[in-house]
Amino acid sequence: MLSYLSRRILWIIPVLFTVSIITFALMHAVPGGPWDSEKRLPASVQARLNAEYGLDKPVHEQYISWLGGFVQGDLGPSYRFRDRRVNDIVADGLPTTIQLGVMAFILAVLVGIPLGIFAALGHNRWPDYVSTSLSIVGIATPSFVLAILLIVIFSVQLGWFPTGGWKTPDAWVLPTVALAGFPIAVIARYTRASMLEVTRKDYIRTAHSKGLRNQSVVSRHMIRNALIPVVTILGPTLAFLVTGSFIIERIFSIPGVGRFYLDSITTRDYSLLMAMTMLYAFSVAFLNVVVDVLYAYIDPRIRYS
Amino acid sequence: MPQKRLLALVGALAIVASACGGTTASAPPSSGAPGESVAPSTEPSTGLAADQVVRIALPGEPPTLDPSPAQDANSLAVLRALHRPLVYINEKLEVVPALAESWDISSDATEFTFHLRDAKYSNGDPIVAEDLVYSWKRLADPRTAAPYSYVIAEVEGAEELLGMAGADPAPSDADVEAALDKLGVSATDEKTFVVKLATPATYFLSAMTLWVFVPLQEKWVTSADAFEAANYVSSGPFMLDTWDHNSQIVLKPNPNWYGDIKPTLTEITMPIYAEPAAAQAAYEADEVDIIMPVDSPDVPRVQADPVMGAEFVSDPQLSITYYNFNNGNDPTGKKKLARCEDAKACPTANKNFRIALTQAVDKQAFIDATLAGLGQPANEFIMPGLPGYDETVNPYPYDLEAAKAAMDKAVAELGFASAADIPPLKFGFNTGGGHEPRVAFLAEAWRQAFGLQTDQIGSEFGVFLTQRTAGEYDIARNGWGADYPHANNQTSGLFTCGGGNNDQQWCNEEFDSLIKQAAVEQDQAKQAELYKQSQKILADDAASLFLAFPERPALVKPYVQGLTKTPMDSTSPGEHFYETMQIAEH
Repeated sequence: MLSYLSRRILWIIPVLFTVSIITFALMHAVPGGPWDSEKRLPASVQARLNAEYGLDKPVHEQYISWLGGFVQGDLGPSYRFRDRRVNDIVADGLPTTIQLGVMAFILAVLVGIPLGIFAALGHNRWPDYVSTSLSIVGIATPSFVLAILLIVIFSVQLGWFPTGGWKTPDAWVLPTVALAGFPIAVIARYTRASMLEVTRKDYIRTAHSKGLRNQSVVSRHMIRNALIPVVTILGPTLAFLVTGSFIIERIFSIPGVGRFYLDSITTRDYSLLMAMTMLYAFSVAFLNVVVDVLYAYIDPRIRYS
Repeated sequence: MPQKRLLALVGALAIVASACGGTTASAPPSSGAPGESVAPSTEPSTGLAADQVVRIALPGEPPTLDPSPAQDANSLAVLRALHRPLVYINEKLEVVPALAESWDISSDATEFTFHLRDAKYSNGDPIVAEDLVYSWKRLADPRTAAPYSYVIAEVEGAEELLGMAGADPAPSDADVEAALDKLGVSATDEKTFVVKLATPATYFLSAMTLWVFVPLQEKWVTSADAFEAANYVSSGPFMLDTWDHNSQIVLKPNPNWYGDIKPTLTEITMPIYAEPAAAQAAYEADEVDIIMPVDSPDVPRVQADPVMGAEFVSDPQLSITYYNFNNGNDPTGKKKLARCEDAKACPTANKNFRIALTQAVDKQAFIDATLAGLGQPANEFIMPGLPGYDETVNPYPYDLEAAKAAMDKAVAELGFASAADIPPLKFGFNTGGGHEPRVAFLAEAWRQAFGLQTDQIGSEFGVFLTQRTAGEYDIARNGWGADYPHANNQTSGLFTCGGGNNDQQWCNEEFDSLIKQAAVEQDQAKQAELYKQSQKILADDAASLFLAFPERPALVKPYVQGLTKTPMDSTSPGEHFYETMQIAEH
């Protein structure tokens, strides 16, 4: 188990390395640069800034110098925020983003799994229709539409929650719900499908025939087995949530790092863009390992050696 | 000045203006008579609220609060509260004393001697002329790489320094220091600051109202984390209290502020809303008091709203919406762009073709349809309100018959069978800026008038800018806002041959020589005349498609009073004079 775990974790290194090379090459291949603005900077000033940030060097040299810094934990200076280091920007925003992501994740699990179970148990009856319709709406509604709807109803009309910000706990409610909307729907659908699959298994028939009460068949046999495939998607879902949402953070004016995914591309803030990509890649890779380890606990048939 | 749009908010404006009368007994020169331009009001100001806090939405995190390299509107919105240069604008855009109480100009207009007021920074240290020498040298210093360093170019010795910025190999520190020593700025004593210009530049005093010319204390600027709230030293009416990055900025009155109008506000809170819809929602939920701009698609709804309709404010701005034609010269302005060597490949380089496109556009309809009706048609580049603007310039008014005649000539000159025969024009714009309706309006106007096809190419901003600069488009979206209220800022570099912002690849030697003459012309009337002539040349050649001088709509809660507005406000009406704002009882 330990050797498996360490092997898997070591594999993250080449993954990150590959992601960094691809991202670095792509971002420098895109036209435009960090000093672009509607009012053009004098050519001499651009040249000076290029020299200062090392942009006048060949791309491979820039990559090596970036990699050198990254390995030592230095993410470099921000191109857009001239007085700040990317380390500070990430350290400032990451806790907020993780907090929001974890809250949305908990909400998604607490609502999505019961919703799926509820649908499966009432298969082809009204609970199924209600739950399935909700999931379809949840999957089809982009988070920004849900976010704006929530703001219009609960902030502007009813005045129950602030429209944005992150300073007080009441500001956490709407973004958490808006961010959880999509994963709730996805988790509910997975759970439902998985539950239906399990219902037809022999061991369920056996459980019923040996006279177990329906309730304990559901709780002890069906749900436990049905959750295995669901756990598969929880890893990427958590990675997706804790690394932040560009749209939700922007609409709710949340000072997290999620907004920098897109902002750093638009402003060609190369160092910030690299930091965000590495953060996301690491989260996905690491949480996938965590999920694989969790399998072993949920499903006794799975053993790692 | 253009007619102010009469909305249902004249009453609200009166309320807004009413507090101004009571602001100060004597209007000091540093800010003129605040509110005078808003609306006359005889109503006595209502009582002031106990809580003098104004909440102004900031449309994004300021990239920096270091005045020298600052260039972003979000930075400026804050810097204008924190610092004041030697001279400043008033609401009529005249240059008035600020830190300098007076100045003398030598007879040849190359030497300016400024006499400083007794003034202190927020940390209690006196503001001395040596700090200005430091700040001006820092601006010119190639190591600062300040985007706005070019505004100091007229100062003696500055050209050499600016040239060093892009030099390869980079100059040594010793070379830079030596060049800095030769820069024409000096402090003859603590209260006297002298600037020597290389050539008489009559617009220089106007340029000096920019944020880059504020006094900076060397010991502050060179300290660690100087621009964070804990260490910030300001010389303006407010000081930086808190800067929660990406969240909000809080300003408090500077107790050492030397100006005659002391702030009534006890706090300015600036929550940061990167998303315009978020700012709008926050305003409607009473979480902020001022938002600017109001998104165009929201304007009709806001105007129709019984409450917000009265809080809606829209004033002319020193800015222009235009679409540049590709006139076919390469960035040096000296030869043809490679892609325009074949005339057929570059139809916008043909004057009749540009005239035809211009005459086929109903500018008022464009404004009504795509700018919520907020603005006035533009036929030249210099904005109304600036000396040099000529309202009579309109050589190619909307006229479909004339447009078709011009197109026929162009088609014959270019050697096509008909306009429909011309390969689709490359029409570039940046996505995400709400430009699509405007691009569609123009493309459709040309299609209807001539059967002309356009290839509407929406690109991400950085990609778009790169292509536009390189002259890859035939027509490209463009816009400009005045940095300082002088026609020089609306001509030089924008339309001069090979100018840094000459996105229309246009080059006209007569125009260039007029701009050069105007720069040194001492007589203001003659100078304005030269600029007027330049605009006539520009318009006659249909160099670019000038469309609108847009307004910048805002929403202001009725209890925010004493706004001193200027046509250069960009993130809140009155952002040049936060010190006159007050909160009425409500």
